[in-house]
Amino acid sequence: MIKIENLSKSFYNENSETEILKNINLNIKKGELVILKGVSGSGKTTLLSLIAGLDKPSSGKILIDQEPLSKLPDFFASKVRAKKIGIIFQHFNLFEHLSVEENVILPLIPSGLKMKEIEEKAKIAMNLANISHKKALKASHLSGGEKQRTAIARALVANPDIILCDEPTANLDRENSLGFIETIKELHTMNKTIVIATHDPLFENLEFTNRIIPMVDGQIV
Amino acid sequence: MNSNAFWHFMTLQLFKEKSKHISVVLLSITILFLLSSILFISSSIRFSLMQTLEQQPDFVINKLQGGRAIATPLDWSDELYDIYGVSKITPRVYGRYFFKEKEKSFLIIGVDFMEEQSHKSLEKVINSTDIKAFLEKNQMMVGEGVKRYLKENYYENSYKFLTPKGEFKSVSIFKTLAKQTDLIANDMIIMPIDLARQILGYSQDEVSDITFNVPNPDEWTLMSDKLQALHYDLRVVNKNEVKKSYENLYNYKGGVFLILFLIVLITFSLILYQRYSMVYSSEKRQIGLLRALGWSINDVLKLKFTETTILIMISYTIGISLAYLFVFVFNAPLLKELFLGGENLKNQLEFIPMVDFSILTSIFLLYALPFIASVIIPVWKIAVTDPKEAML
Repeated sequence: MIKIENLSKSFYNENSETEILKNINLNIKKGELVILKGVSGSGKTTLLSLIAGLDKPSSGKILIDQEPLSKLPDFFASKVRAKKIGIIFQHFNLFEHLSVEENVILPLIPSGLKMKEIEEKAKIAMNLANISHKKALKASHLSGGEKQRTAIARALVANPDIILCDEPTANLDRENSLGFIETIKELHTMNKTIVIATHDPLFENLEFTNRIIPMVDGQIV
Repeated sequence: MNSNAFWHFMTLQLFKEKSKHISVVLLSITILFLLSSILFISSSIRFSLMQTLEQQPDFVINKLQGGRAIATPLDWSDELYDIYGVSKITPRVYGRYFFKEKEKSFLIIGVDFMEEQSHKSLEKVINSTDIKAFLEKNQMMVGEGVKRYLKENYYENSYKFLTPKGEFKSVSIFKTLAKQTDLIANDMIIMPIDLARQILGYSQDEVSDITFNVPNPDEWTLMSDKLQALHYDLRVVNKNEVKKSYENLYNYKGGVFLILFLIVLITFSLILYQRYSMVYSSEKRQIGLLRALGWSINDVLKLKFTETTILIMISYTIGISLAYLFVFVFNAPLLKELFLGGENLKNQLEFIPMVDFSILTSIFLLYALPFIASVIIPVWKIAVTDPKEAML
């Protein structure tokens, strides 16, 4: 499903080069739930961004279902991102002026589907994320947990095979964090491939996790 | 991209972020309103002038001395009768009469009502006037401006003119001249030619100038040369030359306003560019997020282009409509004074509704292209960067 080969990522300042990821090799199979674990600055968020195609690697490649996402032209890369990948951001990244439902439908706007079909899919996703009851509410009026559930619904609306979560519980209290883990468990049973970048201890002893990959200084250890 | 879903989202964006767009729309409306008003006024004035000039005689001749016009001998008109192709020869007596107290002046035109008139609108005025009643005593027909001005100075029905001999000549107002010729007739007084001679100090064998028509326009150049050969001190002006001088005057005023408009437009484009460039971080974050959610660069550009086009259409329609109402319904208060300013008597000219579609298209292009460019270029610059960078 996700194949990473010799992946490196560096950032360049005026005279210096900072290597964030160093020669990463990783295979994630379909339906796997993988936790990327590490302290801040270990490179897990950067790795997640590269898998999602939000950034380009300095060297190496990432294959999503055998397709090299970072090397595809924008039109095709966007299609792959829209159909196959759902992202849940640390800061939720919602459009604050739009309602829950309007936020959820965003990934489907360019899909070519009719509005009725889009609304149908949004309904399913909101039910899964348990946020249907707040669908008309503006994102700016939601609590942290509700924003998180809206972000989950948005990530699920296109029914992607891969769900990428970047520090999903960093802005949630314990109750909401446990609620999120329950949702992840449910998604895991639906055979979704899930990659979570986190340093939250709550994720350490989950019995349904397939792998925990520790990262230190941009390397998998 | 499915149009239903796309339009649904775009309408949402426009309405839910209306506070973000309202300042741009208001600024656009103001700029469009000003530009359209200027162009509407300018084209309406040009139309009025052309209409008025249509009524004018084809040629005017007068005598020059030291480069300035002086009284023209009446017998020059006899020489014109000998030239083939000349018709409607009309000797005219006219001149400015100064109203000392207020430093204003009227244009007195003396007319020989027994002669054929080369000036078409004068012919119309005469045809619609009871000449017998008019000539019974010293009477005049006055332009709107004169009528108003005299009324303001308590001369309701008549005015006493001071002749160069120091005598007062009381002249009654017979009627007011029609409004559509206001641009030129505003400060005009029409009176019998002999009365005008007395007030302006011309002798019986002198006139101000002589007008006539040459129905074949192909002959005009040749006619000018022929007339010039008659007397060394004769000046000849044809209708086309008058037309050009009027056009130059109003084109010059319109040109000054257009330059001012272009300066405003450039400033406006810079503001927009600034607004949509990197300075505007929430816009940047939104674009980055849409890209992260699977929108392609084209999808983002299409959204912003359509959004901008709708804002342009709204501003354009409102701006043009307001300008139309301002100029043709409310008669362009303030702006009219700027255009027609420096006039002798306050002009009550009413602009004739005149919409030139080439002007509307020019306004649209002048406004829409910089607007679209100043929005789309920064949006494109953000859209082509990696979504992660744009979302930072």
